Amino acid sequence: MTQENRSGRPQGRPPEGDSRVTRTEVQLRGPFLLFFISSVIWLLAASVLGVIAALQQGSLAGAAFRDCEILTYGHVAAAQHNLFVYGWGFNAFFALNLWLLSQLGRFELRNGWLATLGGVFWNLALTYGVVQIFAGNQTGFALLEFPREVGPVLAVAFLLAGFWPIVAFARRPTGHTFASQWFVVAASFAFPLTYLLAQLLILWQPASGVVQAIAHSWFVSNLLHLWFGASALAAVYYFLPKVLGRTISGYYLAPVAFWSFVLFAGWTGPAALIGAPVPLWLQSVGVVAGAMLIIPVIITAINFHGTLSSEGGWSRAWNDTTLRFVSFGAVAFTVFGVLNAIFSFRGYNAVTRFTSFAAGQEQLLTYAFATMVLFGSAYFVLPRLTGSLWPSAKLVHVHFWSTALGAVASIVALLVGGWENGKQLADASVSVQQIAKSTTSWNTVLSVSAVLLLVGHIAFALNAFGMILKSSAPASAGRHD
Amino acid sequence: MKNLNSLLAGIFLAVAFPFGALVISSQVQLGSLGPAPAEEGGPLFPSREPGLAIQGRAVYVSLGCVSCHTQQVRPAGQGSDIARGYGVRASVARDYVLQKPVLLGERRIGPDLANYGARAKELGAVHAAIKHDGQFTFLYTGAKQEVASERAVALAAYLQSLRQDYSSPEAKLKQ
Repeated sequence: MTQENRSGRPQGRPPEGDSRVTRTEVQLRGPFLLFFISSVIWLLAASVLGVIAALQQGSLAGAAFRDCEILTYGHVAAAQHNLFVYGWGFNAFFALNLWLLSQLGRFELRNGWLATLGGVFWNLALTYGVVQIFAGNQTGFALLEFPREVGPVLAVAFLLAGFWPIVAFARRPTGHTFASQWFVVAASFAFPLTYLLAQLLILWQPASGVVQAIAHSWFVSNLLHLWFGASALAAVYYFLPKVLGRTISGYYLAPVAFWSFVLFAGWTGPAALIGAPVPLWLQSVGVVAGAMLIIPVIITAINFHGTLSSEGGWSRAWNDTTLRFVSFGAVAFTVFGVLNAIFSFRGYNAVTRFTSFAAGQEQLLTYAFATMVLFGSAYFVLPRLTGSLWPSAKLVHVHFWSTALGAVASIVALLVGGWENGKQLADASVSVQQIAKSTTSWNTVLSVSAVLLLVGHIAFALNAFGMILKSSAPASAGRHD
Repeated sequence: MKNLNSLLAGIFLAVAFPFGALVISSQVQLGSLGPAPAEEGGPLFPSREPGLAIQGRAVYVSLGCVSCHTQQVRPAGQGSDIARGYGVRASVARDYVLQKPVLLGERRIGPDLANYGARAKELGAVHAAIKHDGQFTFLYTGAKQEVASERAVALAAYLQSLRQDYSSPEAKLKQ
């Protein structure tokens, strides 16, 4: 890393950290590793279920599991979705957000046991919820499938495990703040609020009729944008300038990106209800908000791609493991934002509605963007915390190539397959049987990419767990640089 | 940005304001909807579901049928739902006021079921549809899977109860 130390704190650049392991890092090592290890275990479980679900979709009638009630598609798909989001996405961002704001705010986590306790609660509640889904006890609302008693436990666990970044922000010694800090504070504050309100109106005191569906669409869009989106944006804002050793270009625009993102994201939900029996004005609000979301997307594109484009930034990013993943994610976010703006309009939406297209957009945000950024961050943070090197460079390559190819293939299959499928659905003369036949080739692509993702995740897990096992003493000197 | 309180206040408003405007105001707009006659003195629709259908909905939810089936008919001009015969009219909010939970669905891997009860003429066809060409065999017993379990009976009753083929104040059928 080429970092020259400057005396003044430059704008658009995180403060220079100590290149060695800091005291703040020693303090958060325990909870960090708990979150990280559980996130990787859940990621593996979700990818195995992802393979099963893809195979089931590929051959609906001949599925090997057709006699098995537990593994019926409705169970596997729901469990996979929840494990990926709450198991991987939340645990991993608990770890990363905590590390990020501790570094930026020089925060020493003295009550690490509280965060650990929260992590234990979170993972126990999650395990219970997934077992209940397989046992047939689910609610029917995507990402709120867990039986309702799980909700309050997850909310309390979130406050114990995920609220520390806000404490770290409040206790920071300097007045200066950095973009990553705003985004993490937004994620850590917006999620519990959204989750509790959604639980209340959908599961505990259900609103009347279709209002449940409206509340649900609001919840899902907040979860995806304000947890996955904001947390991952924070990481990109940190790692790009940090590893490249330069300032974010156009950083003065970052506050606009932050506020416009937070402001518009909350309104985009009803765009998922176009054509549904809900008031028309609601659908229009969703469309407009989806289009307005292009503002933060353009600004982050200027910030990220501008930073990467100058002085051979792309080739340096390609040759650095962390940045290779992070810049893959940054590009994916721009693609996501543009697609999101275009396809929230009624004409296009009428075609893609009810197809795999929405799943493709979600995959673009939660996998190609957030998950790839998380992987890149792990390559940066773990060596610092464990004090050892990544055991195998070969596994790193396997990890990158199979996840990158798997992500691109699955997203193309979901988006293009969804578009084709939608065109056929719109034509009433094409029968449902014909449509099912023409989706088989896309289903094959989806099965192959699910296997690719699983291979990549196994490579990552082997490497990461090997490294954690190797490190006996925390904070030893031999850090990979 | 430097002040935690104003940052948190901004985020709070950014979450709470859409919640109020989207969710609470639609509860105000739609919360008081109930079964109503299309014309004065006519029968009330949607009608109460039979108890067996309510049990069947629990089976539908528990098996995750919602991951492949929607229950909403879009208006003509948006997709081909009516041309495909999924319904005779677009779904309206009033159709769902008695349903707990409301299962609009997001994916159509299989056909839409909002008006399935009006399409399915006889019980045998409903059970054949539940079997999906050899799936969900665990819901049936007997050598040829010809005996429906209690859950399959309830599920079939639920599917037959799904109808949106009546006139309601917002969506009148052409006579």
